[in-house]
Amino acid sequence: MKRWESLEDFEAFIVDGGIVEPSDEMPDVYRLAVFKFIELHANSEYMGGLTERDWIPKAPGLHRKLTALAKTQDEIGHAHLLYMIAADLGVKTRDEMMEDLLAGTTNFHNVFHYRVHSWGDQVAVAYLVDAAALASQQAVFKNCSYGPYKRILRRIIAEEGFHMRNGEELLLTMASGTDIQRTMMQDSINRWWLPAIQLFGPDSRLDDPLLRWNIKSERNEVLRDRYIQKFVPQLLNAGFQVPDSGLYQDGETGRWCISDIDWEPLKATMRNGGPDSKRRLIDAQAAWKDASWVRDALDEAVVSQ
Amino acid sequence: MKTYEVFLKKAGKEPFGHVGSLDAPDDHMALLFARDSYGRRSEGEQIWVVGRDHILAGNQSDLALADRSHKHNDGRRVSELRTSQRLKKELGE
Repeated sequence: MKRWESLEDFEAFIVDGGIVEPSDEMPDVYRLAVFKFIELHANSEYMGGLTERDWIPKAPGLHRKLTALAKTQDEIGHAHLLYMIAADLGVKTRDEMMEDLLAGTTNFHNVFHYRVHSWGDQVAVAYLVDAAALASQQAVFKNCSYGPYKRILRRIIAEEGFHMRNGEELLLTMASGTDIQRTMMQDSINRWWLPAIQLFGPDSRLDDPLLRWNIKSERNEVLRDRYIQKFVPQLLNAGFQVPDSGLYQDGETGRWCISDIDWEPLKATMRNGGPDSKRRLIDAQAAWKDASWVRDALDEAVVSQ
Repeated sequence: MKTYEVFLKKAGKEPFGHVGSLDAPDDHMALLFARDSYGRRSEGEQIWVVGRDHILAGNQSDLALADRSHKHNDGRRVSELRTSQRLKKELGE
């Protein structure tokens, strides 16, 4: 068990690349920050898993249904792993985290506050959103100071890698389809482009403690820009347009520049006031209630031992 | 519910490694959940699931006893001796 005399000692340990374990006497501010970060990640995986589940019966063809099923299992599985390591921090139990999520008192990522209207939307989510989520998780993994989170992220990232390739395959399938499919796909890209780049959040604060404590390894704006440089050409190459009238390529540097983002709507969205937040929460509550017989059966198994 | 720790072993020479934890009502369900949570893609050839209360965890003071440098040899002395021998030989010739 490690302990530190002061926050300064702790921060020096972190700067040296130190790894914090659950048995260590970490400063409360760090414990709480790591907990909140993991809880947000867990909630987002869980809410994402529920959307993915909606598409198991609707995905076109058996193969797509099977991959939707596998992805659902992965997302719910990631939530499960994350809730376990979050609970070990001793801030809230798993039950309390679920209660708070379903009551709408905690948060989940912006991208799960919008309606997935069509198969095209589902492809846009798989292609644009999964890639953005993966990029931000990789940036956490790279230099993460909390040991259990770093270890579990290795597994999550490997599986999200499958999802991202799956998303690209789906997008390219749509791109090489009929005019109707390409139009459908363009509509969906128009809806999901901005939420995907907003996933990285507004520019990081200069004194962001998550950066200082090696929970995040890169500033939000750096990750967002890297994503833009990668995905603008990819979309254009696939024959799609980027829904941003202010988009241009810098003649000298070759870099893609996007219009300024209005971050105000995102703030409301993150407080569960997004376009589809209410329905998503009601749906999650219903799913939780529907599965209560499983939890009851497990509890009875405990009692009967 | 009881908390279990899960260990997986890939085929081949790799040792068992800790992969994470889970909650289950009993040992039988713990194995089932372990497969679903940690072995969905045949990540391992063998699996161990151990109740967390059954793990005896030592702390750092159990391991970091004192200076144990005599139990290691980083080879620095060897390289110094080799260099000095080579120099002697070269100068002698």
